[in-house]
Amino acid sequence: MGKPSPSRTVSRSDFKRISDQVWEIPPDFRSDMRAPARLYADEALLEAALTDNSVEQLINTSSLPGIAKYAVAMPDIHQGYGFPIGGVVATRLPEGVISPGGVGYDINCGVRLLASEASAEEISPFLAEVAAALYRNCPSGVGVHGEIKLQDAEMDNVLVEGARWARQRGLARKEDLQHTEEFGAMHGADPEHVSHKARERGRHQIGTLGAGNHFIEVDRVAEVYDAMAAESLGLLPGQAVVQIHCGSRGFGHQVCEDYVARFQKTVRDYGIELPDRELVCAPFESEEGQQYFHAMACAANFAFANRQVLAEHIRRAFEQVLAGKVPAFDLHQVYDIAHNMAKIEEHEVGGTRMQLCVHRKGATRAFGPGAPGLPDDLREIGQPVLIPGSMGTASYVLIGTRGSMEQTFGSTCHGAGRVWSRARAKKMVRGEELRQELKDRGIVVRAGSMAGLAEEAPQAYKDVSRVVEVVERAGIGKRVARLEPIAVIKG
Amino acid sequence: MAGERQLREVEHTADRAFAVRGRDLAELFAHAAQALGVIQGQAAETQETVDREVEVSGVDRETLLVNWLNEILYLEDVHQESYSRFQVAAISETFLRACLHGRPNASSRRTIKAVTFHGLKIEQLTEGWEATLVVDV
Repeated sequence: MGKPSPSRTVSRSDFKRISDQVWEIPPDFRSDMRAPARLYADEALLEAALTDNSVEQLINTSSLPGIAKYAVAMPDIHQGYGFPIGGVVATRLPEGVISPGGVGYDINCGVRLLASEASAEEISPFLAEVAAALYRNCPSGVGVHGEIKLQDAEMDNVLVEGARWARQRGLARKEDLQHTEEFGAMHGADPEHVSHKARERGRHQIGTLGAGNHFIEVDRVAEVYDAMAAESLGLLPGQAVVQIHCGSRGFGHQVCEDYVARFQKTVRDYGIELPDRELVCAPFESEEGQQYFHAMACAANFAFANRQVLAEHIRRAFEQVLAGKVPAFDLHQVYDIAHNMAKIEEHEVGGTRMQLCVHRKGATRAFGPGAPGLPDDLREIGQPVLIPGSMGTASYVLIGTRGSMEQTFGSTCHGAGRVWSRARAKKMVRGEELRQELKDRGIVVRAGSMAGLAEEAPQAYKDVSRVVEVVERAGIGKRVARLEPIAVIKG
Repeated sequence: MAGERQLREVEHTADRAFAVRGRDLAELFAHAAQALGVIQGQAAETQETVDREVEVSGVDRETLLVNWLNEILYLEDVHQESYSRFQVAAISETFLRACLHGRPNASSRRTIKAVTFHGLKIEQLTEGWEATLVVDV
């Protein structure tokens, strides 16, 4: 591979239009590109993507050795570190690479959706109490500790068994596991490749929410677009549902840190030159690549277990507040998805089925009908995809499509995507005023800090409805239902 | 504490980026550590009750800086402590030894997940050094 060309600023005219929603930077744009870079966007979202370095970051990912077809970015693309948020890169196995920076620090950050037997109207008189109980039961903040302390043997069990560990402890139902990506446990997890530091960081953090953009939100099913799919998922108009957005906490952060630092040398050993040190990688089949994959799978399982315990805390909070007041309020799991992960999957490339390492960084797996890995009751409709909006705005439930399998390695968007920096959001928005504004709209907010609340103001994000419209028009996701928030709990 | 002259926030859409300066590498590394606290809105401590000796290594100067800052985040996480003063006793291109001073702080609302290598630069200026860093929040 030649030395990467000096960074070249990308502009609107550098894109070739593939369709109304698909734009491509051809591989001759920069000498280090090994494949084209594709962006899913309408005109306005394309312009928005050009306001920060996210497209340069997307182009950087196209330099990863072994990349298949093209690097992809979803319409919620925004600037991250290494990969852009909203990026999907698949590398061919066995020769392709795996990149810890392509997964990110919050390994298996994801979303879980629980649907209540109660309607939003039924719980609305008790909403403030529900929000307070959720805040009390689900500890938040980056370094916060939870109720469970994991000793080494039990930690190993969590890392291998994921959400299945919670089932052994009576903290999960069989149906919860059925409706979780990978059924709640990634294959290939080997705790031997996890550092002592990662264990120490994760020891107290199961069942905790974290901070930043992590949240628990109570929503009302505001609109159903696909009645048959909604029925299969147990979603009804007016129903109360709960979203959980969080990941692998300090455990995952440490696994990523350990391997990004270690791979700084690994790339030199393998003679891999990259335009960004955060993109460091190793051949998937190499000893280093395998060790990262085994450790990443442990972190993914930690995250599945974490969201599972939080789901039980949420059920407990509902019980504490609603028992004796609302006739039926039980929460069943609609689905749980990951949006920061590298996975081994089979896809068609150039007419041939092949094994790939699919990196999704701020992108959701969106397997279509009949795809492997789906539970029996969802096989016909496709995988549920959970797209949280920004705070105070709508969220969407989608299902994966055949189009996502054909175009984007079975992937779609993951959220709204930021447009304002956190510093700008804090300058433009006051947390207390935002809380009042949301209250005036009937949304209860419990937040750890007003500054943190301001950072996540809806103005700091793109319009999630527009993002979802693009993926639907492009055929890489299909809308099932829209959710409107009624209570937000933030770290 | 790294004052305004030593610390400058750089625009970044999703995460936080900053540039920090020091007269020499030891001061640069100490100021970068203090910047983590500033970015998270932690108040300067007057009562230090905890001291921790650390040794950090890295394959080059940039890796050493990232490893040093991530070591601080790790120690804050596992010991539920906040550090506000950093004495770098020895530093080379690939190794440093330092003492962290701070206090127990179980209620700290930390926001930084990790320090990244993205856009990482350490530059020698006419007078002193400057590092640019992006942190994941």
